[in-house]
Amino acid sequence: MNPSTPSPAAAGKKPILQVRGLTKHFGASGGFGLTSRSKVIRAVDGVSFDLYPGETLGLVGESGCGKSTVARTLLRLEEPTAGQALFDGKDIFTMDGAEMRNLRRRMQVIFQDPYASLNPRMRVEDIISEPWVIHPDVVPIDQRPDRVRDLLESVGLRRDHAERYPHQFSGGQLQRIGIARAMTLNPQVMICDEPVSALDLSIQAQVINLLEEIQDRHQIAYIFIAHDLSVVRHMSDRVAVMYLGRVAELGTERQVYGSPRHPYTKALLSAEPTINFTNEMQSRRILLQGEVPSPANPPSGCRFRTRCWKAEERCKVDIPELVVQSDGDGHVAACHFPEPLSTGPAH
Amino acid sequence: MADKPLLEVRDLKVEFRTGREIVKAVNGANFTAYPGKTLAILGESGSGKSVSAQTIMRLLQIPPGAITGGTAMFHGVDILKMPMDEWRQMSGKKMAMVFQDALASLNPVFTVGWQIAETFRIHGECSRSEAFDRAGALLERVGIPAARDRVKDFPHQFSGGMRQRVMIAMAVALKPDLLIADEPTTALDVTVQAQIMDLIKDISKESGMSVILITHDLGVVVDVADTVAVMYAGRVVEGGNVIDVLQQPAHPYTLALLRSAPQAREKGERLQPIVGSPPDLANLPTGCSFHPRCAFATDICRRQAPPIKSVAEGRISECHHAETVHHEPVHA
Repeated sequence: MNPSTPSPAAAGKKPILQVRGLTKHFGASGGFGLTSRSKVIRAVDGVSFDLYPGETLGLVGESGCGKSTVARTLLRLEEPTAGQALFDGKDIFTMDGAEMRNLRRRMQVIFQDPYASLNPRMRVEDIISEPWVIHPDVVPIDQRPDRVRDLLESVGLRRDHAERYPHQFSGGQLQRIGIARAMTLNPQVMICDEPVSALDLSIQAQVINLLEEIQDRHQIAYIFIAHDLSVVRHMSDRVAVMYLGRVAELGTERQVYGSPRHPYTKALLSAEPTINFTNEMQSRRILLQGEVPSPANPPSGCRFRTRCWKAEERCKVDIPELVVQSDGDGHVAACHFPEPLSTGPAH
Repeated sequence: MADKPLLEVRDLKVEFRTGREIVKAVNGANFTAYPGKTLAILGESGSGKSVSAQTIMRLLQIPPGAITGGTAMFHGVDILKMPMDEWRQMSGKKMAMVFQDALASLNPVFTVGWQIAETFRIHGECSRSEAFDRAGALLERVGIPAARDRVKDFPHQFSGGMRQRVMIAMAVALKPDLLIADEPTTALDVTVQAQIMDLIKDISKESGMSVILITHDLGVVVDVADTVAVMYAGRVVEGGNVIDVLQQPAHPYTLALLRSAPQAREKGERLQPIVGSPPDLANLPTGCSFHPRCAFATDICRRQAPPIKSVAEGRISECHHAETVHHEPVHA
C-alpha cells in the first residue's frame, strides 16, 4: 500500500487474472426472436486489464459504463460475447462445470446490496457455512460451527450472532456477514461490486477498514468497483477508468489521480465535490455538457467525443487505442489528444 | 446574520406510531433559513432530515406520522398550523420542493410540458396556451436542449439528469421564496450532479431564492451551502457557517464524520470510522443520543441531555464538551 510502489508488472510479478478484449453485448444473440428489431446494447466493448496477486484494482466510472457487467461476466453470471479471462493461465469463459466449481473457491464476490444478497430465511450460521456444503473438503463438518464463529469475530461481529437472522442486523453488519461468507473458501481474488455504496459515511469507513485488514492478512487481490472516486482512491493500488464500455485510462492510483491523461478522467475528478476548502478545486472544475450517451447507440470513433472539449474530426473517425503514457510503465490512456503531464505534486 | 429569517423552525417533534413502538424521528429540531441563502441539512439515514422537510411541506402522512410539537414560522405565520386549503394556495408560490427520485415524482401518463403548465393553471396564473408557452421557456431556462419541442415528451423519454431538471423547472415555476431540495442529486452520476448543483445555485442567485438542501454528502455541503445544520437522532446537534463548522467542528459527531471520510486520510492509512451503529429511534439512549459512540463522553453525557451552547458568533453545538471539541484539530 505504499504510494511509491512501482506497478506490479515492473516488480516482475505474474498476474493472477488477465482479461483480454472482454466484450458483452446484450440482445446480441437469441433473446426472444426479436433480435432483428431490438437494439444491441454494447455494455462492455473490448476491455483488457491484468490483476496481480494481493493488489487492489479499482474500477471507476459513471452508471452505464459497464463496470458491473465486467464483474458479472468474470463471475460467469453473464456469458461474454467475446474475449478471454485467464485465471492462472486458464480461460474462465471456456471452463466446464468442474473447473468452474474449482474457480469459485479461488474467486469470490461481495455485492452492493447486503439486504438482497443474504437469504432472509436462513440463519447467519447457515448462510456462512453454505459454501462448505458445496465444497465439503474445505472444512470438516465437526469444525464448521467453530469456524463460522471465528469468521464472525474476524469481521467484527460476535460469536452469538451466528444464531440470528439477517433482519436482526443493520446494513453495515449485513455487509460484514457477506464478507465473512466470501472468505469461507479462502479465495485469491475477490470482486467487490460497490460494497460500501449503500452504507452511511460512518459505517462505510468501518467496512473499508475491514476489507483492507483482510487483504493485509490474506493477500487477496481485489477488483474494487465503485462510483465514489475518493473511496476508490483510498482502496486502490491501480485504477481503471471506464466510459461507455471501454477503458479510458489505467494506471497506478498516483498516476490516474495525480496526473490524469484522458480528458474524461480529468473532468470526472474535477466534478467530484471535495471537502477541501481551497477554491482551487472549484476554479478547476470542468463542467461537462450533457450526459453519457446510450450504449445502444454509442458515438463513432472515441466514445467520449460528444462531451469532450478537445474533440476534433479525427475523434469521430479513429477509435483511440490505449497508449502507454510517458510518465512510467503501465499508465495507459485512450485519447488522441491526451492532457499534458501535470508538473505539480500528485497529492 | 443580521437578516430577518425567512423560515424559522423551532423544537420540531415528529413521531411515527407503529404497532408496538413509537419511533421518534424528529426530537426537537431547530434550524433557520435566511433570504437568498442556502442552508444544508446534513445527516445520515435515520437522522430525521427528510422527515423534517416533509413535515414543513405538509407532506407527512398522518397517521402513522404525528407532529407532536414545535413551530415553523414562515413569513410570520406558523405553517404547521395553517389550514390545508390555505397551505395549498401558498405552497408552490412561496415554498416548493424537489425530491430525490425524479421519475417517481413525475406522472408517467402526461407530457412534461403539461405537468409544468399545470402549476400555472392551478394557481390561476394564465390561460392554457400561455401556460404551455411558459413551460417551454422554463425548460429552456433549466438547460434542456430543444426545449420547445421536448415539452411534448413524456417523462420516460428523459434521462435521469434531465428529469431532475424538469422537477426543478416545476418547483421554481412560480418563483418561490424557498426551495427545499431533498437529496436532489443522490441518484445521479457525479458529472451530472455538478450540473444540477450549478443550476440550483444559478437560479438561487438570479432570483434571490433561499434553498434548504438536504444531503448526506459533505462535499455537496461545501460546494453549495452558506450555513449547515448537522442532524443526529432527530436533533440538530451543530449549526453555523459551513466553513467554520467543517473546519472547526464543535460537536463530536461532526468531528467524527469528517474524520471518517476517505478524503481525510493519506493513502495507505486506515480510516477512522465512528464506532457502533446508528441509534434506534424507538429506544433512544439516555442523556445525549450520541454518547454510546462518542470519544468524549463522560458521566454527565449518559445522565443529562446537553444544552444548546454557543461556541462562537453564529455557531451552536449541543454537547456538554463543546468547547473542548471545538479546539480539537480535525486531522488528528
